[in-house]
Amino acid sequence: MVRLSHFNYIYTAKIVIMLGNIGKSLYELIPENNQYERIWLLAKTDFKLRYYDTFLGFLWTIVNPLFRLAIFYFIFTFIFNKQIPNYALHIFSGLIIWMFFQESTKKGMNVLKSKRYLYENIRFNKLDLYTSSVLSSLMVLIINIIVYFIVSMFFKIPLTWNILFIPLHILNLCILVYGVILILSTINIYFRDINQIWDMILLAWFWINPIFYAKAIIFETYPVLKFINPLAGIIINTREGILYGNPPDWGLYMYDMGYSVVVFFIGLVSFRLLFHKAAEKL
Amino acid sequence: MMNTNDIMIQLDNVSKTFYIRDKRHGSPLQQLGRFFSGNNLRKIEAVKNVSIKIKRGEFIGIVGANGSGKSTLLHLMSGVYKPDKGGTAKIFGNYIRLSLGLGFNHELTARENIYINASIMGLTFREIGREFNKIIRFAELEKFVDTKIKYFSRGMRARLAFAVAIYTNAEILLLDEFFGGVGDEKFREKSDQIFHKRILAGKTIVLVSHNLLPVKDHANRVMLMHEGECVKTGSSEEVFLHYKNVLKVDQLKIENKDLA
Repeated sequence: MVRLSHFNYIYTAKIVIMLGNIGKSLYELIPENNQYERIWLLAKTDFKLRYYDTFLGFLWTIVNPLFRLAIFYFIFTFIFNKQIPNYALHIFSGLIIWMFFQESTKKGMNVLKSKRYLYENIRFNKLDLYTSSVLSSLMVLIINIIVYFIVSMFFKIPLTWNILFIPLHILNLCILVYGVILILSTINIYFRDINQIWDMILLAWFWINPIFYAKAIIFETYPVLKFINPLAGIIINTREGILYGNPPDWGLYMYDMGYSVVVFFIGLVSFRLLFHKAAEKL
Repeated sequence: MMNTNDIMIQLDNVSKTFYIRDKRHGSPLQQLGRFFSGNNLRKIEAVKNVSIKIKRGEFIGIVGANGSGKSTLLHLMSGVYKPDKGGTAKIFGNYIRLSLGLGFNHELTARENIYINASIMGLTFREIGREFNKIIRFAELEKFVDTKIKYFSRGMRARLAFAVAIYTNAEILLLDEFFGGVGDEKFREKSDQIFHKRILAGKTIVLVSHNLLPVKDHANRVMLMHEGECVKTGSSEEVFLHYKNVLKVDQLKIENKDLA
């Protein structure tokens, strides 16, 4: 018996090594793509630098939204006495999307300044900087979505197949953010006050999102908000999927997607027209 | 084979005018007044009507006093600045611009900075992996691979930047005051070695410098810039004499102003 198990260990080790070699050669077979690698590397570095040398490190990506959640939950449950079932998760699902939007636009609009040391010295596709900026914020969002699901397990929220639509909503969100940061960063070349103005816009924008309110309020009382604010639809649809287990409202989804694509193209055109001033103005 | 008649950089009637808004100090109320009273733009013609063709393998030196438009010219060559209407600037091939203290994120280590810079130059991770040890050995930074750049001396940074430029596929090196100001004797020796050993053979080099010393020994052609204009192009000896005269004339002008 002993000898057999001994033999087994060697055998297992051999298989592991063999599998390792197969994996390695499979990896070698993947065609290399410099552009994808570059975007990935820039995003990874960005993410790493965000909490560099801090004691909690990347845990801050979780601590920050949980802390906000605690505050908002306290205020709205005990002071305003809101009656929405699973109110904590209701807030949290909206909050992580909002925080992604807020953080990625604030960081992305300064990308031409913070990455100047790269595009000033070497020629490459500047849009890679934007893509990597969105990607690094996306990493935070994905961590937060995982945290959301862990929390929702404690509340015994049943999961349905409708959570599979979430990537579609995230895609919609990323296109919107990409467009917004293209527009903001080109404005930022000429008009530095946009940083302060955007802060104020975000503060106002936050309160017209259906983060604290049930969707009925925003739809029935102020239907116009649904249409001027593309984030409202994204938040509602995502929440329907992960909290209530409903399929997305496809009409609303298509509207928001169209909205985001238009913003994206406006951003792309303004970037193409105005980028060349970046190196001398910033 | 590489054709030595390939034109790598071509500037035709390139000019660059900046409109600079001077920062004026004053009380918040005065600033508010200015906000409504209009702008205080100042026109600065940094580069005026420069034309040059640089061929593959050439080593061009651009010299001139501070503020004569050398660095602006380099930015125009690389396409980072767009020339004024009427002029065209073209660069053919991969370039890297080296200047001290730029190009690296100081919060990252040497390893991370090498990967980022090489990846942006167009190398895949596997290619960088193959070149990595060569870069480190060339820069003589074996003991500092995982040290943050902010702890590096200027000489170390310069060596690292140069090593990255050599082992990535840069065809054109744009050196902006790269050798001036580095007090590191080791680096000076190293850079002399580089030029003697012809490691840079086949690469096109444009070196901007306010002093002639680094240009004198190696450059095939030297261009003298003065107040945005290309005053003279020629061998380093010719330009050297001219440079002294230009500086003298400048000095006289200043003295006359002082007297008046």
